[in-house]
Order: sequence, then structure tokens, then C-alpha cells
Amino acid sequence: MPKELFVDPRATRRKGSLAFAEVPVHAYDTPFAEERGRRGDGALKEMLRHMLVVREFETMLGTFKATGAYAGMPFVYKGPAHLSIGQEGAAVGAALALRPEDHIFGSHRGHGEFIAKGLSAVAALAPAELIRVMEAHEGGALLRTVETFIGGGDEKAIAENFLLFGLLAEIFMRANGFNGGMGGSMHAFCLPLGIYPNNAIVGASAGIATGAALYKKLARSGGIAVANSGDGATATGPVWEAMTFASMAQYDRLWGEEKGGLPVLFFFTNNFYAMGGQTIGETAGWERLARIGAAANPSSLHAETIDGTNPLAVADAVARKREILLSGRGPALLDVECYRLSGHSTTDANAYRTREELAAWQEQDPITLFAAQLREAGILDAAGEQAMRDGVAEQIRKVTAAAIDPAAAPPVNVEADPILIGKLMFSNREAEPGPADPALAVAAEASSRVRQNLKKSRFGLSEAGEKLSPMRAITIRDALFEALLHHFIHDPSLIAYGEECRDWGGAFGVYRGLADVLPHHRLFNSPIAEAAIVATAVGYAMEGGRAVVELMYGDFIGRAGDEIFNQMAKWQAMSAGALKMPVVLRTSVGSKYGAQHSQDWTGLITHIPGLKVIYPATPYDAKGLLASALASDDPTVFFESQRLYDTTEMFHPGGVPADYYRLPVGVPDIKRAGSDVTILTIGPSLYPALAAAEQLQKDYDVSAEIIDARSLVPFDYDVVLKSVKKTHRILLVTEASERGSFAMTLAANIGRFGFKDLEAAPRVLGSPNWIVPGAEMESTYFPQAGDIIDVVCGELIPEKKVNRRGIRDWDDIALARRAL
Amino acid sequence: MADIPLVMPQLGVDIEEGQIDSWLKQVGDRVEKGEQIAMVTTPKVNLELEAPASGTLKEITVPADEIARVGDTLAIIAAD
Ligand SMILES: Cc1ncc(C[n+]2csc(CCOP(=O)(O)OP(=O)(O)O)c2C)c(N)n1
Repeated sequence: MPKELFVDPRATRRKGSLAFAEVPVHAYDTPFAEERGRRGDGALKEMLRHMLVVREFETMLGTFKATGAYAGMPFVYKGPAHLSIGQEGAAVGAALALRPEDHIFGSHRGHGEFIAKGLSAVAALAPAELIRVMEAHEGGALLRTVETFIGGGDEKAIAENFLLFGLLAEIFMRANGFNGGMGGSMHAFCLPLGIYPNNAIVGASAGIATGAALYKKLARSGGIAVANSGDGATATGPVWEAMTFASMAQYDRLWGEEKGGLPVLFFFTNNFYAMGGQTIGETAGWERLARIGAAANPSSLHAETIDGTNPLAVADAVARKREILLSGRGPALLDVECYRLSGHSTTDANAYRTREELAAWQEQDPITLFAAQLREAGILDAAGEQAMRDGVAEQIRKVTAAAIDPAAAPPVNVEADPILIGKLMFSNREAEPGPADPALAVAAEASSRVRQNLKKSRFGLSEAGEKLSPMRAITIRDALFEALLHHFIHDPSLIAYGEECRDWGGAFGVYRGLADVLPHHRLFNSPIAEAAIVATAVGYAMEGGRAVVELMYGDFIGRAGDEIFNQMAKWQAMSAGALKMPVVLRTSVGSKYGAQHSQDWTGLITHIPGLKVIYPATPYDAKGLLASALASDDPTVFFESQRLYDTTEMFHPGGVPADYYRLPVGVPDIKRAGSDVTILTIGPSLYPALAAAEQLQKDYDVSAEIIDARSLVPFDYDVVLKSVKKTHRILLVTEASERGSFAMTLAANIGRFGFKDLEAAPRVLGSPNWIVPGAEMESTYFPQAGDIIDVVCGELIPEKKVNRRGIRDWDDIALARRAL
Repeated sequence: MADIPLVMPQLGVDIEEGQIDSWLKQVGDRVEKGEQIAMVTTPKVNLELEAPASGTLKEITVPADEIARVGDTLAIIAAD
């Protein structure tokens, strides 16, 4: 909707037809002699050796899985083995064209890409740099282990063994694997060599790599991001969303000085199968994978189909695409055809393909073909090749022997520290905001939103005690804006995006005025692509940036399910703390728009280990807690109630401080002191609870203490348990459907921790387990003050003998039987 | 030459007030009917106000940054 882009009906309604940028298929025809002249015999021999290393490594894993032993060494490996035998040409060819500063993000079938990229980085880095990298990893402990148990010779040889051992120990989930044994086969990575996380969720790396490319572009940190996926991944929504996000026109049209496309290469290792589903002819309609590039943008993503059995063709294509990306004309796509000679996994019975097909592709084995080429050209004779094969076999044997030796690769000892894994979930680090960006600070002062806020009262009541309108006092919307603005001015890596974030000011006006202050690249409209919104934030954070992204309604969380549940939440622990995840996901809880726009899904989010969850109900809390979330290196989901955006401050003396401050995440807050019953509220339930408390006092002489949870994860029970010690009764109020809600978790724990102080079981009052009805019926759904009074007087304090049951006069046990 | 008032329009069902963000025209300026002459904000949105008639902006009754209620006169235009 930017006004500088005019939608001209005369131009748009003109007759015409679309032409698509041509998509070359197997265009590579560089004579081998020319490659030889350019690269030299040594480099060509190294390509063969790298392919052999990948082949032998995968063969070793496959042999362990199939026979329980390899090279005479018995060992039981329990984990997955998605082998890439037959695909070595694609992995090694690509790695040849990549530099250490290029970052690959991969799939479940990532060992080959990992090894190839690592070997290429080892070859490219100076010996002193390699030593620095190895010494920096775990204080040099892994390097020492490699020197002691494997050895190798010069720095490069040691570094290769470091690479292979770190990977294999990780696959075997050993404590000194590259990721502390927390990642394993499908998730291994090694950042200093440019090997970023592999992903067990098909297609998930596409969005993450896109976010990494966004960081590379904005931070000018160099290199490109490569999203490695299989052909099956082309069917997934997140891959399409990533390509949509990566090819937005605004990078060229609206980003001014930051003009230029994202440096991301969508690299599809197309082995024609997705497990047993055949993409060509059965499960996809594209016929040629590269065709999907044509859907994305006028350049067809510079897509090409290339021959993955020939590493030189792959290296040539990746080098050309890299140039395109580095000159700001990305993104790009490669369809790299090759064949998986091994099964999908070790349980694959090959029921979906014929022996004839396998035999035909055995003849196209990239290693056999390339070795033959070297032989024919007189670069490597049969004896030389055999010596190379023997050397590789010996290298893998030594690495394997060490990786199965508990003295070299000890198992993760959870028994010795039962919460070892728990301690990896969060870093609990907060980054202090840096110095102010003077230009932004000046622009902010001049912005109308800041001027308006300056004129507003910081407290919600006038001196005469009258309630001020949201035009005259700071609201939650303003408080959130203030925290965001401060962080934007003090943290140059912070970016914000989501749907309608820029000109519209965020769907609910939180960002209103920010577009006057921030350039496009720091605040922009994303496509309607919730999965990409979150996945790119994850990738941006993995590279070292900080992102605050918005899902317009909490109801859309499902559209970014994997990205929130598996990516944002898990990478800190899956990297054993090597990665941080400074992502704030803001999402609003709606009302009045019915079943798909009004649901409180805090229960879903709090259920996921690895996310911090905040749900403020007052401006003071909103500002201080958002500031903490924006400073935190941990991923945070920040819920905001649409009904509360206009709420002014009624609790904090002096109102919302104009200056910057942070509030501790995880500490509930007593909003009203009382002695007869505790009411613990989540989000907007605070307000009906306060109304109920007034009436309870007036009509029933019951003194209610009200505690606002403020944060759900983490949660400090002490505040609540102290209150219960005094009141002996507790009611928890939430707008979420009761079943599986976070209030239920709190209630169960309070019942356990506070058992001796309680005179009644903790009671949860939430919304019923059915759809949120339309605005007219909402009061029958979300707990109201009357419902709270009913429960307090009818159930928790029966001696009040109050029998008034409102609309919720139903039998919960009978409802449960009816699935309600 | 009739005086035509520019009034704060209904900004939304629940919205009673709006704030003048800025005046795009000054007193004495010529304005055309439909031309944008002021920016108004509510808690949620920014919007533009258009001149209700062609003529001269004769008087601004609610200066920038002030809050006005729906229906209040914000300015007077001396129409042609
Ligand atoms: C979202 C998701 N769906 C399904 C799976 C199970 N799965 C793992 S690999 C795979 C096939 C993927 O095929 P492709 O992308 O072509 O890669 P390939 O296995 O051929 O390397 C499937 C269905 C998964 N891991 N993630």
C-alpha cells in the first residue's frame, strides 16, 4: 500500500501476455580441458577425494545400521541415517564454488553437504585460521581429542579429522559432538566453517536461509545463504512462502540505499523421490523442478536445471548464481538432478523403484564418472585412484574408531546432571542496548507520535480522579511503541516486519508513526506468509541479528506452527547453546470477529518447551516487559489483547515512566491486595476480576487479592503461594478454553505446591471448550465479573451460601463426557 | 462567499476524539474542494481531512497537536 507505488488501471488493464525468463536445462558444456586449465589437476583430484570421503562416511553409517559393525568394529547406532550415496557430485560441486563466509542450511539428508562444505572451507582457510577455529570450539577440547585419538599430520589434515569426528560424534549424540550431542544426524552444524543448521522438517531451511540472507544483506557480513532442500520440499507451503518473501519487489523498489535482492540460493537436490513419492509424474506437476522459479518473479529466480552427477557442472552453476546474488540480483534457484543410490533411510525396501532404474543410475555414479574422466585425461591413474581410496578408507576408519570409543567421545551424561538438557533451553542473557543512533533519535523527536505521547498524561486518571480518554493518556499501544522505539534507536540490528507493519502502522496501530522514523529495511510489510515471517526471523537471529515480528492475530499461529514450535523454540537447546535466538514474536488476541479471530492460544504456546511467553494487561507492564523481551537473547512470544490496546495505566504510581525501563520476565504482580481469596488472572481477565473484587467486597464482604500473571513462562510461583498461604483459596481466570490451558497447569502446580495451605482445590475459570462466538455472544464465552463472583461465593467460600449461578450453570463432568 | 466549517468527522463507531496531527494548509491559503488540508490521528489510525469546499482557508480553530471531539469545527473556509 505505499503511496509511492501507483496502481494505474490503464496499465494494469491493458491486453497482453506474460513471457517467462528462460530456464536453461543442462546447459553446461565447458570442455573438460578448459576446466582442467582453470582449476588445475590438484583441485580436480581433491574433488574426487572429497566425493570419496562423503561416500565412505555414508557407507560407514549404512553399514553400522545394516550389520552392527564397520571395518571390524562392532557398534550399535540407534539414530537416523538418511544417506546421500549417489548425490556426492551435487554436494561437492556446490561446495567447490562456495567460500567459508557462505552459509549452508540443509535438510535431513545433510551429511554429504556438511562434509563437502567443511572440506571446502578447510581447503580455503589458512592453517593459522584453522587452528584459531579449532581452539575456539569448546576451548580447544575437541581439537585435543582429535590430536590424541586420531592425529593426522599438518593443520589441514587435523582440521579434516576435526570436521569428520565432530560430525560423527554428533551423529552418535556424544557430549563432544559439534552440537554437544543435542542435534544429531539431521541437525548437525559447525558455524565457523559456514555450515549452519540442518533441519529434520522438510523444507524448513528455506525460510531460515532467507532470513540469514536478509541479515547478510543488511549487516553486509559477506557471502550468500544456501537453502538446501530435496525435490519433495517444493510441495511445502513454507518453501513457497520463503521464495515469495525472498523475491519481494520492495528490495529493489523501496529500499533506497539498501536496494538489491536477497543473497539466497534455493538449492534443490532433486533425486526424483520424496521417500516413496515420485515428484515427476506422481506427486508434483512441475515436470521440471526449475519451472517453479518462473512463478516467483520476472527473472524466474534465475532458475536452471543442472546435472548433479557432474560436480563441475554444479560448481559452474553455483559460482554463476553466487555472482548474481552478490551483485544484488538475487534470489536464485537451482534444480540439481542426481540420484539417491542408497535407500531413503535404512528401512527403505525400495518398493517404489525397479532394479532396472537402479542399475541405469548405477552407471551414472558421479564418483565412477568423475574418476574415469580423471583417468582419461591422465590426471590420476588406477594406482593413484586406489591409493586415494585407501587413504580415505583409513581416514574414516580412524575417525570412526574414535567416535565409538567412549574415552574419546563420551556419551552425554544426563544421569550426572538430570537437568543438563533443561539448562540449555534458555541463555537467560539480556543484551544491554547500545548507544543511541543520533539520526534516528532526532527523527524520533520530530515524529508526530512521539510529540503526541509527550502531551499525554502518563497515568490513566486526571488529578480530579476522572478517567482520561485514550487520546489523553498513555495506553498499552503507546507503551509498546515507546519500548520498541527505544530499542530501534539503540540496537542497529533490530528489524520489525509482518503484515501491514509499515504504512498501516501495524494492524492495531502499535507501529503508527514508526514509518516516519525508520527506513524501509528496518520496518517493512511482509507478504501474507506467516511461516516465512517467523522462519526468516529465526534465520536473521541465527546470523546475529535481532528481529521483532508480528502475527496479526494469534489465531494465525497455526500458519507458522513449525516455525514457532520446532524452529524458534528449539535451536538454542539443539545447538547446546551455540546459537542464540533473539526473536520477539508479537501477536494479538482478538475479539468480536468470531471463531477464527478471537482465540487465546497461550495454552498452545506455553506447552512448547523453549519459548518465553508474556501476556501483559497494563501499560506499565507492557512497556517494561516488551523492553525485556527486546533485550533478551531468548525467543519470546508476546501476546497482546486487542481489547486492551486503549487501556490506560491505573496501577503504577506516577503512571508509565517516560524513560526506558525493563521489568523482570516471570514475576506475577499483585494488582489488588486482599485476604479471603486469591484470583490469579491471565491477560485481560484482570479487569473482570477487578470488577468482581469490588463487588465481592461491597456485597459479600469478601476481600479478594488479585494477581496478574503478566508472564506465563517463566513463572515464579512464590508470589502466588505466599498469597494462598494467607487466603487459602485460589481462582484462576483465563480467556483461553479451559481444557489444556496454561491456567490448568498453574492450578495443578499450585494445588501441589500449596496443598497444605489450601482449603479448596484451585479452581480454573476459563472459556468453554467450544468456538469463540460472535461479538453479541462473547459475554457468554469469556469469563465475566459475574461468573467470577459465582465461583468465589458459590464454590470457594460455600459458607457465603450464595447460590447464584450465571449462564455457566453446567455440569463439567457431563460436558467432558460429551467432548466439551 | 459563505463560510463553510471543516468538522471532525465520525472516525469510527467507538471513537469520540481525534487529534490534529498537522495542518497541510495555512490561514490565507487557497484550497480546492477535496484537497487534503489536515492530518488527524486516532489511537489506531492516521487519516487525511479534505477541504469541504473550494475557497480560502480563513481560520484554524483547532491547532496542530490539539484534540477535538467528533463534530467539532476545526477550521473555516471562505468558499468562492
Ligand atoms: C514436514 C515434514 N513432513 C514429512 C516429513 C517426513 N519425511 C522426511 S524426509 C521425507 C521425504 C523428503 O523428500 P525430499 O524433500 O525430496 O528429500 P530427499 O529425502 O529425497 O532427500 C519425508 C516425507 C518430515 N520430516 N517433515
